[in-house]
Amino acid sequence: MLGRGLKRKLSDYEENMAGVSSAFDSSRNLPYPLKRQLVLNVCLAKLQMYKMLVEPNLHRSVLIANTVRQIQEEMRQETSQHLVNMCGGLSTSPSGYLNLDLLAISSILKDLDFMEDVSPPTYLAASGDDQSKASETPCPRLEDERQDLKGVECAFGSFEISNSTSYLKDLAIDDIFEDIDTSMYDSDFDCPPLAPSRALPVVTSNIPIGRSDLSDLDHIMEILVGS
Amino acid sequence: MGEDTETPQINHGFLRDHNYVTEADIISTVEFNHTGELLATGDKGGRVVIFQREPESKNDPYGQGEYNVYSTFQSHEPEFDYLKSLEIEEKINKIKWLPQQNAGHSLLSTNDKTIKLWKITERDKKPEGYNLKDEEGKLKDLSTVTSLQVPVLKPTDLMVEVSPRRIFANGHTYHVNSISVNSDCETYMSADDLRINLWHLAITDRSFNIVDIKPANMEDLTEVITASEFHPHHCNLFVYSSSKGSLRLCDMRASALCDKHFKLFEEPEDPGSRSFFSEIISSVSDVKFSHSGRYMLARDYLTVKVWDLNMETKPIEIYQIHDYLRSKLCSLYENDCIFDKFECAWNGSDSVIMTGAYNNFFRMFDRNTKRDVTLEASRESSKPRAILKPRRVCIGGKRRKDDISVDSLDFTKKILHTAWHPTENIIAIAATNNLYIFQDKMNSGMH
Repeated sequence: MLGRGLKRKLSDYEENMAGVSSAFDSSRNLPYPLKRQLVLNVCLAKLQMYKMLVEPNLHRSVLIANTVRQIQEEMRQETSQHLVNMCGGLSTSPSGYLNLDLLAISSILKDLDFMEDVSPPTYLAASGDDQSKASETPCPRLEDERQDLKGVECAFGSFEISNSTSYLKDLAIDDIFEDIDTSMYDSDFDCPPLAPSRALPVVTSNIPIGRSDLSDLDHIMEILVGS
Repeated sequence: MGEDTETPQINHGFLRDHNYVTEADIISTVEFNHTGELLATGDKGGRVVIFQREPESKNDPYGQGEYNVYSTFQSHEPEFDYLKSLEIEEKINKIKWLPQQNAGHSLLSTNDKTIKLWKITERDKKPEGYNLKDEEGKLKDLSTVTSLQVPVLKPTDLMVEVSPRRIFANGHTYHVNSISVNSDCETYMSADDLRINLWHLAITDRSFNIVDIKPANMEDLTEVITASEFHPHHCNLFVYSSSKGSLRLCDMRASALCDKHFKLFEEPEDPGSRSFFSEIISSVSDVKFSHSGRYMLARDYLTVKVWDLNMETKPIEIYQIHDYLRSKLCSLYENDCIFDKFECAWNGSDSVIMTGAYNNFFRMFDRNTKRDVTLEASRESSKPRAILKPRRVCIGGKRRKDDISVDSLDFTKKILHTAWHPTENIIAIAATNNLYIFQDKMNSGMH
């Protein structure tokens, strides 16, 4: 009988829950705060991605921003009740997230406003600096992220950020990269495909390499070529 | 619309013979004209294809009602807004037919920013026998003209000519999601994410802003307009839907700027079913007045609801489209499917409603019998004049033959755009780059 079987029975539903396809869906078994954190991470990743677009979809951006606001509000209430019980690895203080989220939302919505300005949008002007700024992208620190969010340069960093995988935290990687002369790459250096998830920053700086940098540079190149 | 009486048959799957689908071929809108004789589709490549229903033929009983390509034209081209450094896609977001007023047909087509009025005319006669011009239209050598003749119209092969009549540009800052022709046949409106404009069909250099929900500070923005439509009979009334799940009915007699709705149709949130995605799934993707003008049909992610214009507090009917997806909202959010904008349609008598789903499935609900059916529009399972078999999505352990499990649904095959013939049981279904036209041959069922 058509359609009749589509009536939802609770037992059927429970069975169905077991056969989930995505890893994300299996989050249903996770504790609520962790699940919430997962959702929040995806929200932030999406907001970051939309920021890269010249003309992001306003409808989606607003829906995602509202979802973040909702989660944010929840977390704020919990914080005020001193019931912060974030799970395991995600021990970052929620207040840090809150500020970050606020910034993310307001900056993306602000960007959407540019369309009405006759003057060229501010972030387009930044394109000249993009390459040098790109080297800052794999920067996992929340504090730095806050600043990055103001610009559009921050690309795919949000996953690392929100996961708080801070293994690169103390490596001032951007500083080092900034000083590398790209002519080194341009030569017949056969660069192996390293760290695919973290695209190799293109550095255009032409600052002459001082002698003191050379040892550092050697070290970096060693890492890069995997010797 | 019972399973015994209903025998929808496939007239055509207008299958483009590509082994691959180019992005430009994806159909982005489907619309019957007011008589149902013509059907227009728009695609992501900015093209409009018009199909015409073949006249009845006694020799071929199947010939009647078949839709064949009538005309194809490029409506929109990709553009670049140099002032704002923005690329404007050519994708046709919506097509609306104007009521026919003479031998020609007219339609409005829109992409994200610009609305165009097109006129489609037929020509099957050609003047011949000019005195001063030859067959190619070149001037004759006057010394050869020795006698006068009367030019005559000679029948020729039918030619369909499409010409742009008006271009309504620069009216929208955000993306146009709807256009709707008013019942006064003189005006139409166009809605983007934050504003609705009213245009006169003959005037392209000015429009009136009738709704503006843009906050002074964009950081305060929490809601956008998702769809909008004029009332079919009362030219002063229109409805617009929002991303927060509400419908606002506005009366243009009240004030020039209809920021204050006249009726707000909103369902109180059920705290029991609240989740992270409550707001996203309640965002209305399409709103359609019934032909009678008494009801409104509103589609959100998981349901389609019928609202009575006389009752604002709750919908009179709610139909579940694919409630089994409720447990998969996280994944659907992750892969952006949750933002898919499904449209919905009424049949000619407002007794059946139709809307799309995933896996090339579409759903129909009979409002009287409360029966519902899931049908599939697919190349593999359908041959011309085949009878559509109802499909069933298996949500539990007990799985019958031919059932499909929730986990094997293909979320890349979605039916977003559907249209119902204004009077007959003929439906047009856009499935990615294919257009399917199904017809109820028995003319029974579907009361």
